[in-house]
Amino acid sequence: MSLKLLKQGLNGSKSLTPMWREQPIKDRYDVVIIGGGVHGLATAYYLAKNHGITDVAILEKRYIGRGGSGRNTTIVRSNYLTPEGILFYDESLKLYEDLSQDFDFNIMFSQRGHLTLAHTDASLRTMRWRAEVNQLQGVDSRVISPDEIKELVPFMDLSDHPRFPVMGALYHPPGGVVRHDAVVWGYAHGADKRGVHIHQLTEVTGIDVEQNKVVAVQTNRGRIKTGTVVNATAGWCTLIADMAGVKLPVETRPLQAAVSEPLKPFLDTVIVSGTLHFYLSQSDRGEIVTGASVDPYTSYSMDATLGFAEGLAGHILELFPSLGKVRLMRQWAGLCDMTPDYSPIMGFTPVEGFLVDVGWGTYGFKTGPVSGKRMAELIATNRTPDLIAPFKYDRFFEGRLVGEKGAASVGR
Amino acid sequence: MSTKTKDAINPESQIQNPKSKIQNRLSSHPSHKVDYTRPIEFEFNGKKYTAFEGDTVASALWAAGVRVLGRSFKYHRPRGPFALTSGDTNAMVRVGDEPNVRPSMKLVEPGMAVESQNVWPSLNADIMSLTSYGSRFMPVGFYYKAFFRPKALWPTYEKVIRNAAGLGYVTTDTPDTYYDKKYEFADVLVIGGGPAGMSAALSAAKTGARVMLLDENPYLGGHLAYERQSVDTKNGGAKAYELADQLAQQVLAHPNIQVELNTSVFDIGYHLWVGAVKEGWTNTDPDSIQNPKSKIQNPEARLLKIRAKSLVAANGAFEQPLVFENSDLPGVILGSAAQRLMHLYGATPGKRAVVLSANRDGLQVALDLLVAGVQVSVVIELRDQPDSDLVTVLESAGVPVKTDSIVTKAQGNKGVRGVFVSQAAKELPLSPGGIKAIRGTKEFVICDLLVTSVGWTPATGLLYQAKGRMDYDEQRAEFLPAHLPPKVHAAGRVAGAHSVKAELLEGEMAGLNAAADVGFGKGASKKLQNEVAKLKAAEPVRTSALTYIPGGKKSFVSFDEDVSIKDVRDSVAEGYKSMELLKRYSTLSMGPSQGKYENANTMALCAEANNQTIPETGTTTGRPPFTSVPLGALAGRHMEPVKYTPMHDWHIARGATMMNAGLWKRPEYYGDPAAEVVGTRNSLGIIDVGTLGKLRLYGKDVPKLLEMLYTNKWSKLAEGGVRYGVMCNEEGIVSDDGVTANLGGDEWYMTATTGGVTGLYQDIEWNLQSGWDFDVHAVNMTDDYAAMNLTGPNAREVLQPLTDIDLNNEAFPYMAARQGTVAGVPAILMRIGFTGELGYEMHVPAGYGLYLWETLMDAGETFNITPFGVEAQRIMRLEKGHFIVGQDTDALTNPFMAHLDWAVKLDKSDFLGKPSLVRIQKRGVEQKLVGYEMLDSNIVPEEANQIVVPNPDRPIGLETIGRVTSSRYSPTLEKSLGLCWLPVDQSEPGTEFTVRIRGELHQGKVVPIPFYDPDGKRLKS
Repeated sequence: MSLKLLKQGLNGSKSLTPMWREQPIKDRYDVVIIGGGVHGLATAYYLAKNHGITDVAILEKRYIGRGGSGRNTTIVRSNYLTPEGILFYDESLKLYEDLSQDFDFNIMFSQRGHLTLAHTDASLRTMRWRAEVNQLQGVDSRVISPDEIKELVPFMDLSDHPRFPVMGALYHPPGGVVRHDAVVWGYAHGADKRGVHIHQLTEVTGIDVEQNKVVAVQTNRGRIKTGTVVNATAGWCTLIADMAGVKLPVETRPLQAAVSEPLKPFLDTVIVSGTLHFYLSQSDRGEIVTGASVDPYTSYSMDATLGFAEGLAGHILELFPSLGKVRLMRQWAGLCDMTPDYSPIMGFTPVEGFLVDVGWGTYGFKTGPVSGKRMAELIATNRTPDLIAPFKYDRFFEGRLVGEKGAASVGR
Repeated sequence: MSTKTKDAINPESQIQNPKSKIQNRLSSHPSHKVDYTRPIEFEFNGKKYTAFEGDTVASALWAAGVRVLGRSFKYHRPRGPFALTSGDTNAMVRVGDEPNVRPSMKLVEPGMAVESQNVWPSLNADIMSLTSYGSRFMPVGFYYKAFFRPKALWPTYEKVIRNAAGLGYVTTDTPDTYYDKKYEFADVLVIGGGPAGMSAALSAAKTGARVMLLDENPYLGGHLAYERQSVDTKNGGAKAYELADQLAQQVLAHPNIQVELNTSVFDIGYHLWVGAVKEGWTNTDPDSIQNPKSKIQNPEARLLKIRAKSLVAANGAFEQPLVFENSDLPGVILGSAAQRLMHLYGATPGKRAVVLSANRDGLQVALDLLVAGVQVSVVIELRDQPDSDLVTVLESAGVPVKTDSIVTKAQGNKGVRGVFVSQAAKELPLSPGGIKAIRGTKEFVICDLLVTSVGWTPATGLLYQAKGRMDYDEQRAEFLPAHLPPKVHAAGRVAGAHSVKAELLEGEMAGLNAAADVGFGKGASKKLQNEVAKLKAAEPVRTSALTYIPGGKKSFVSFDEDVSIKDVRDSVAEGYKSMELLKRYSTLSMGPSQGKYENANTMALCAEANNQTIPETGTTTGRPPFTSVPLGALAGRHMEPVKYTPMHDWHIARGATMMNAGLWKRPEYYGDPAAEVVGTRNSLGIIDVGTLGKLRLYGKDVPKLLEMLYTNKWSKLAEGGVRYGVMCNEEGIVSDDGVTANLGGDEWYMTATTGGVTGLYQDIEWNLQSGWDFDVHAVNMTDDYAAMNLTGPNAREVLQPLTDIDLNNEAFPYMAARQGTVAGVPAILMRIGFTGELGYEMHVPAGYGLYLWETLMDAGETFNITPFGVEAQRIMRLEKGHFIVGQDTDALTNPFMAHLDWAVKLDKSDFLGKPSLVRIQKRGVEQKLVGYEMLDSNIVPEEANQIVVPNPDRPIGLETIGRVTSSRYSPTLEKSLGLCWLPVDQSEPGTEFTVRIRGELHQGKVVPIPFYDPDGKRLKS
């Protein structure tokens, strides 16, 4: 038993302290981060921890982790397609491996393995491509046969009965799931402990730019002077960027997800099927956590739809026919900011002091740690770290897109 | 005492057949839904029990004296039913092969096997329940605070946690059963068949509107069905259950009302698109299995998708549990649950009861218990001035009604053995924990049943989904509809009306207004509206603001998740202050009931812990589904479309191995693909290319459209010409390719890739409708035309006798298109050649496809015509060095990288991708797609193998510089060849490279393409 639990058990609630405090809002900060999700909080955390920059405020419109950080399906992996992508996602995965100890708070990172199913020649080819590149980058990843899949996932129908029979899979043993909210809370705790101010219910209403330089942000709680603003929002990143006069090539689409009622453990690995458009895993609570592709329309709506649930259930049962009597318990939606190349936009913008960490599409949660670490480095050193250079804003004006479209999960 | 109340407490007056007394069952009564003449045998945990037709699993087991049905999620505490509703997930069971069944909703069927869940090794001796003793060391979120040191042990801990959590289990042998879906339409959809709902349905139906009424139970009546007291209606008094029957008969007899029982609404979407699930069937249902006329063999559950024009939510309220120490103990039940047991199922709820009341409903339950022969030891009343008429009756029956006391704790091991009652000091008005037991006044009252009736939570979840707004009514301690969207109405308890008269009138009003919304009648009169408002305003408050009794250690707010009051406070103290954070940290409302019986109490506790008011704290987001839905019902029949070409059966008959190509099935090969290549190259082959995308384009601006879509030029393509083109997206990335023919007279014919055509057609339509103001009409003919390619040196000789088109090389040269007939069939012919041989691609109406195919096969017989599949085609196209979009190109490929410079005309005024391509051309490309051959022709790389150079800094000493995208052994050239990506400076013919194949390194070299017939002589001859 941990010391913390022992203390709490013996002393009762008196020993409890808030994970993060409510601080008085100041009228200036060195760095203002808009968005209290995993990206914004991680940036603040690493600014304080790695660079000693603690005069930092997080401005969160509602409560921390309300956006994509708490709405994703918690999958973490690094079996991407391009060497740049793999290096980046792999650093994130490695950071995740140590976060519980860093935070002194269990984020429940379970590396239970990740299977991306191939149902066609073409997808099998893509899986092989990913495996080959992954191996060259030292990432544990290989293509496995239906027989090997059967051993890992006894519930999957590997016969030729499904509409698109499984021909193989990309197996990525270090991939897995993390308790997403715990990551948010852990970063918030670590940042708060080091002096960062986390302001919830604080909505940014404007960004003051003078001579192409950020000077302040306007909020529902007053004006805050600062020379450095980080837009770490999702869903509304274009609206925030507009406030600074920066146009982002981003369109926002809902992404829905759902959980079943709790069941005893029957599924260890994470399963992804691009052809059938779904992914699922079983949480430690026993729920099947599942999602599919982004909705085929742009919208700021976070409403779950019946049509989505029907399609999702159909696809799941195509491969897991014995789950017909399992009940869908809760459905929700988040917002995904999609860029043309399904890769994020990170770093400097044409407005001095206005930085972005946006456009995270369907893969923002996986990269919270590395993004925070490298954005913090960028802020502290005022230069773009090599690892995130491929994601710079200018690439859209230079025709240097990133080639992760094929591996950005089923969300396309 | 009036005669009426005398009757109410004289059990004999209601017993119809005293001789038919069955153990633990009350004498039969018209309000009962069980039929004592029809006993049913079933099993619970392997033991046989008897139920009666109409019993639920919960009622049958209760009557049999079984209180504990399962164990709780976290501490494995013994649990049983407490509400007997669909929201009662306190102890879900396994029935047959179905996990997580709500015992209060599942009707017993003969031979049914029921098992308890989350127990190990057995329900009565559960090892995991020992965790309850250590619960002080397992506070809220304990798993966040432990198990991560040392790091390596977490997977072990996790395994234990996983095994302890979860509820029901699944097995791989559960069959994939029959599910279906049904579309329904209603002018007025009424949710809930209680007094308000039935009244709404009747009033709407009378206007002529088509009404649909849904109820989750197998009977109509709502709360009236389980109540026996006299109720006041505008037509005078009536017994509640009799009123339910009268209304039900009117509803069922009305031709404008369609009633669906056993049907739960779980989703209300935009434009009143409503999802409901019907589970359980009665033999009057037209689709029932018992109905011999039914074609349905095994309707497990059916999804109803309802397009409602207007809607009345009359889905009632949940009776609110009070939170106190051990309030989760089996035998602590809600007042309405006691009434359900007695009045619906004839089950004796207990022998000795204590009743905790905060409204008239509670006192009525106490009376009902007396009538059922239950000894009521005491009624603890939270109000200072309880209804004197009922109090008088109770007291005259010897039941003390105490207004100065409180129950502080339920006591017992696997069921209530008694309760502790103390004198109490109340702060008025009552607040969530505004009561204090006075020290030294505690006494133990023996009982086996504690019934609580302290208030109601309107079931507003569906109204939230419909985008309604609820406001907290401080005085009534309920969240009530404050703003409903157009065409959405609420009536009855969900809207805060509790008296039957108010419910009926509000239902009538809502029904009339909903009908008027969609053009039937004039809506409710001002008079009716005023009367409803007046009645509701005059109603006494039903819901106590008291949500918990202070002082308890194991006082669970959430039964689903074992979250206690202390857990709520601890969570807030740790910073999880907002309802949403509290929910995520404590897991409150995340269990199977989705918080139906805990949300209201949680809000009150969260507000208190934050020193806020309840409205300031607010609610969590109400998310669908309102009640959980089987995946099978959502999925319905598996309807994954498959597309077949007209020649499909022919291919099968010829033994073709089929492959998926998008939604299509195509022959991959018939026999040996290499032989198919040789046969075609040497003489003649034929391939079914019907899966190609096919668009007909009409209008004078088609050339303008083509100029925008393709990167090359189109305006000068003469009638009868065919041109190849590449399409890019706005980023300059190759998105599709194909040919388009100018058929003359403003008619054009476009082909696209099998996988790309749907997206292409959407893009064309999107652009035509939202920006490009072209005179073009595009039709997707992909499924309407069959297509085949007759190719090989003898193609002309075989085809000429069958067609009126002059096939002479001058009259019909390479890259030309002609229309005419082939074997009498109208056809579009294009002379193009993916295979590298003379070839005619023929497109004919799908109905003629097989006929033409067979005719060509017959005609080609003398030349040994070889039908070939995708694999032979892939080899032949590769021998010609043609790339395949999506295989050899990827999400970064621009045309300059794929030797398509010739096809990109940057001097065109505009086309999709031009701005990007201008930039890309200026910058130059870094990689090129080139042809290669392996030095050892026995080595054939796998597609996607990487081209590598040594780099000691990399994890395995190799760095990727390119990859193989297409790779085959060429039977024609007897070489291992293919296409690969390489850096521009290593892409010159002759350059050698290393490719990693299954972990081994092999050498290849760049060679010019096409590999075969580089000058295209065969193609053009």
